[in-house]
Amino acid sequence: MSYGYIKIGSEEKAFIAKVEEISGQNVYSCYQCGKCSAGCAFSYKMDKTVNQFIHLIQLGQKERTLDANTHWICASCFTCTVRCPREIDVAALMEAVREISLRENPEKVRIADLPKESLEKLPNIALVSNFRKKTG
Amino acid sequence: MVQYSYFPGCNLKTNAKGFEKSALAVSKQLDAELVEMPNWNCCGTVHTLASDNLMKRIAPTRILSRSSKHVEILENSPKEVVTLCSMCNSTLKVVNKDIKNDESKLEPINFQLEVDEEEYQKDMEVKHFLEILRDSVGYEKIEKSVKKPLKGLKVFCYYGCMLLHPDEAKIDDEEMPAVLEDLSESLGAEIIFSPLFKHCCGSYHIVDQEDIVNTQVQKIIQSAKQNGANAVVVACPLCAYNLDAQQKSMEKQGLDKELLPIFYFTQLMAIAMGEASNINHFEEHHINPEKLLKKLKLI
Ligand code: SF4
Ligand code: SF4
Repeated sequence: MSYGYIKIGSEEKAFIAKVEEISGQNVYSCYQCGKCSAGCAFSYKMDKTVNQFIHLIQLGQKERTLDANTHWICASCFTCTVRCPREIDVAALMEAVREISLRENPEKVRIADLPKESLEKLPNIALVSNFRKKTG
Repeated sequence: MVQYSYFPGCNLKTNAKGFEKSALAVSKQLDAELVEMPNWNCCGTVHTLASDNLMKRIAPTRILSRSSKHVEILENSPKEVVTLCSMCNSTLKVVNKDIKNDESKLEPINFQLEVDEEEYQKDMEVKHFLEILRDSVGYEKIEKSVKKPLKGLKVFCYYGCMLLHPDEAKIDDEEMPAVLEDLSESLGAEIIFSPLFKHCCGSYHIVDQEDIVNTQVQKIIQSAKQNGANAVVVACPLCAYNLDAQQKSMEKQGLDKELLPIFYFTQLMAIAMGEASNINHFEEHHINPEKLLKKLKLI
C-alpha cells in the first residue's frame, strides 16, 4: 500500500464537472459499496476496479483516471448501471471518461492499422460499435 | 393478419442472413408478418451515453420517423417498429425514450431531419420480435404451429446484455428473464440453465482485444456444457458471431474439441415449424449446426 499526496484544486474540480456534464451523473452519489465491481464481467482485466475508478473521479484525479485501463476494458454491458443501489448510470461515467480521452486523442483504435482480413471477416455490427466507442 | 414495420439493421443483410430469412418465414406463418421498412439506415449499433452528443441520436430518430410513415401503408399495423437484432433494439428504444422525454433534444434533431422533409412525431414504440411473439402472438399459437418438436435439443438460452440492459431497453426481467426459455419450450426443446446467461461476451472488443472475448466465450460455453447443453440459442448477431467464431478458433488452437452450435431463436422456430432448412443459412455458421440436427433427426 502506498500513499500519495492528493490535491483537489480548480483543475480537479473542472475534471469532475466535465465528467458530470457529459454523463449527467452526480459522482458523489457513489458511496463506494463495490457492487458494480463485484458484478462486472471484466473486473479481472481492470487495473482499477470500477468503484476504485469512480473514487479517482470523485477526487478529480484526471491523469490517474485516464491512465487506468478500466474505461477501455468496459464493454458497456450496463450490468453495473442496472444494479447500482444509488441508481448511478455507471456505464455513462465510463463513457464520459472515454469521451474526455477521445476528445483529446481521437484514435484509441487506429482503423488504418487494423489488418484487412479482420475488416473483411468481422460483422459490421462489431466494427461500427467499436469505432463508436474507441474513436472520436 | 397483422403486419409490422420491420427494421433489419445492417447485420441481418450480411452475416446473419439466416436470422432474417427464418424470422420472415415464421412471422408469415404466425400471421404477424414482418415487412421491411423502406429507406432505412444504420442505427449506430450502440447509443451514445454522452448527454451532449446529438449527432449520434439522429440516425435512430430518422428510423423512427420513417417507420412511422411506413406503418400507414401496412395492414392492421400498430405504431411499432420491430427489430430482430438486440443491439438495434436497445439503441432505438433508448433513443426513443430519451427524445420523447426531452424536447430540447428532439427539436434540433427534427431540424436536421427537415432536410429530408421528415419530422419525428414521438408516435412510435420499439419492439423486439421476441416481445411480439410473447405478447401479441402468444406461446399457445406457436405451440400449435409446431410440426416437428425439437426433441433432444438441450438449449442454453443466452441473453447477452442488450436484451436486458439498460432499464429503458429491457424486454424482460433483467435478473430472471424467461422469454427465450418459454419460447424454446413451446418448440419442444429442453431448457438448460446456466448462471452465465447474461455474462457479457466481450462485444465489440472482438475488433482490437480478441483475448477478452476469448476468455468470456470460454467461460460461457464451459458453463453451458457443464450444465448439459448441446446447443445455444441467441438473439444478437454479435453474441452469435463471438460465441460461434471464438469456439472455432479455440478448436483450431487445440483448446476445445466439443463445440456447441449457435442458433438464432428464429432458426429453431423455422425448424420446428417445418420451414425449408436452407432459409437458415447454416453454411454461414462457423460451427455447422446440421450435424447435431441430423443426429436428432430434426432435418
Ligand atoms: S454500485 Fe454504485 S454506489 Fe456502489 S460503488 Fe458502484 S457506483 Fe458506487
Ligand atoms: S458497463 Fe462496463 S463497467 Fe459496467 S459492468 Fe459492464 S463492462 Fe463492467
